[in-house]
Amino acid sequence: MKGKIEKLIINALVDYNEELENPAYGNPDEKTRLYSSEGGMDSIALVGFIADLEERLAVEFNKDIILADERAMSQKRSPFLSVQLLANYIENLLLESEE
Amino acid sequence: MAKTNERLWIFDKIRSFGDKIFLVHQDYQYSFTEFCDAIDAAQKKLTENNVTKSEVVGILSDYSFNSLAYFFALFQNGNIISPITVTVNEEIEDRLNEGFINKVLRFSSDGVKISDHESAKQTHSIINNLNEKNQSGLILFSSGSTGKPKAMVHNLDNLLNTYRDKRPKSLIMLVLLLFDHIGGLNTLFNAIATGSTVVIPDSRDATEICKLIEKYRVNILPASPTFLNLILMSEADKQFDLSSLRIITYGTEPMSESLLSRIQHKFSKVKLIQTFGTSETGISHTTSKSSASTLIKIDDPNIEYKIVDDELWLRSKTQILGYLNYSMEKFTEDGWFATGDFVEQKTDGYLKIIGRKQEVINVGGQKVLPAEVESVLMEIPEIADCLVLGATNAITGQAVIAQIVLSENANDINISKIVRRYCKNHLDLFKVPTKVKVVEKIEYSTRFKKIRNSEN
Repeated sequence: MKGKIEKLIINALVDYNEELENPAYGNPDEKTRLYSSEGGMDSIALVGFIADLEERLAVEFNKDIILADERAMSQKRSPFLSVQLLANYIENLLLESEE
Repeated sequence: MAKTNERLWIFDKIRSFGDKIFLVHQDYQYSFTEFCDAIDAAQKKLTENNVTKSEVVGILSDYSFNSLAYFFALFQNGNIISPITVTVNEEIEDRLNEGFINKVLRFSSDGVKISDHESAKQTHSIINNLNEKNQSGLILFSSGSTGKPKAMVHNLDNLLNTYRDKRPKSLIMLVLLLFDHIGGLNTLFNAIATGSTVVIPDSRDATEICKLIEKYRVNILPASPTFLNLILMSEADKQFDLSSLRIITYGTEPMSESLLSRIQHKFSKVKLIQTFGTSETGISHTTSKSSASTLIKIDDPNIEYKIVDDELWLRSKTQILGYLNYSMEKFTEDGWFATGDFVEQKTDGYLKIIGRKQEVINVGGQKVLPAEVESVLMEIPEIADCLVLGATNAITGQAVIAQIVLSENANDINISKIVRRYCKNHLDLFKVPTKVKVVEKIEYSTRFKKIRNSEN
């Protein structure tokens, strides 16, 4: 499932980058930085990207997943640092919601 | 001309600090002596360009060594000054008009360009009064409920005088807010009055700020809760050495307990202090109960406060003389100002700030007026109707979201994309809706007012 989520994030990123036009997102992979001191997008862009992603997740998994909330903010490492960390975080949320 | 002399103290101070570093910007360091010389040079240029004492001067610039030299040269002359940092032409024009501005300074790599501006409006009694008394003024703008920015006028002599008795210090402060914000000016005035150093960032990006803190060993960081959260999220605090920090102040929006405790955990040796101020009253001197507490006490000899229906009211010796284009409805006859901030009174005189009364959307400390965004959205042909509101967002505090009713012939389109692309070219980025929802209709009240309940 993680591979599927990563792919979904990457596709969302490629689409979103049509507006963002950030060269760092030309060919994103699981290591690509989202919001991090080592590159990525700014906070306002991140908010828009997460909104897009939540919509895609709702379509793909038929579940309303909230990504930007107090819980995400309180993680030891921010899930928004990279594609991979975000995929891990989403996978956890999806697994939890199945329990 | 006695008033002119009363202004001299600040220039004496600036001169007396000599070779101490006053300002760091774009990797250049400028001493107080160099600042003195720059003020003199600016003075000459103002004279050459026939900028007279009675004129209202707009400075179209963010903080820079040059723009500050002109600011103080104009203050020396007793001008009324308005720093303007917006970059969209329409917004600039609005401010020039609403502020009765008749001279404009524009900065580029070639230096300063001084031009006339013909305001639609001729003059105003507040401006005339300041001119008659030979006093300097400061015009700041805040978002008005009708869409036009509210132009408020401070007596700049009076405002700066409150910094007069500050004792010399050698601190290094970072100025995070823009030139047209009372909070940033407060940091700047403090630095000038105490002989401290200000570090001016070129970008307000969390990583960039942390880099500057490391490089210039910054001691004081005035910030907002959202901004501090961005530092934590980006892990920039891990990448850079921030051990020089001694005080972090936060204000402009309510601080959540959970964020404060995360900040305290990361910056365990730093004192965390909440500040409180309004553009109308100036910045109050406040004391936080502790670094772990969001409770504050207003203990400022220049400011009285009271709580009316949960709303904080202030009466300050540094409050504005009035608005140039707005009624004094938020001030009582006897000078009390209704801040629009809801507070809870705790024991021992401590207060807790709960939130804003108005509907203004606060995106990371920057204010967004729904009406302004709505008016841009309505320019898009695919949109029939819309409503803009704030939604709670863990990253930026609030995010702008838009409800949209599509035009009849607009089917099967990616409206989110269209909206963002259009808004990006017509609004500041932080005002662009991050989420677009298509709805059947927009709710109106019986008085044809949009019902704008913020989404949680």
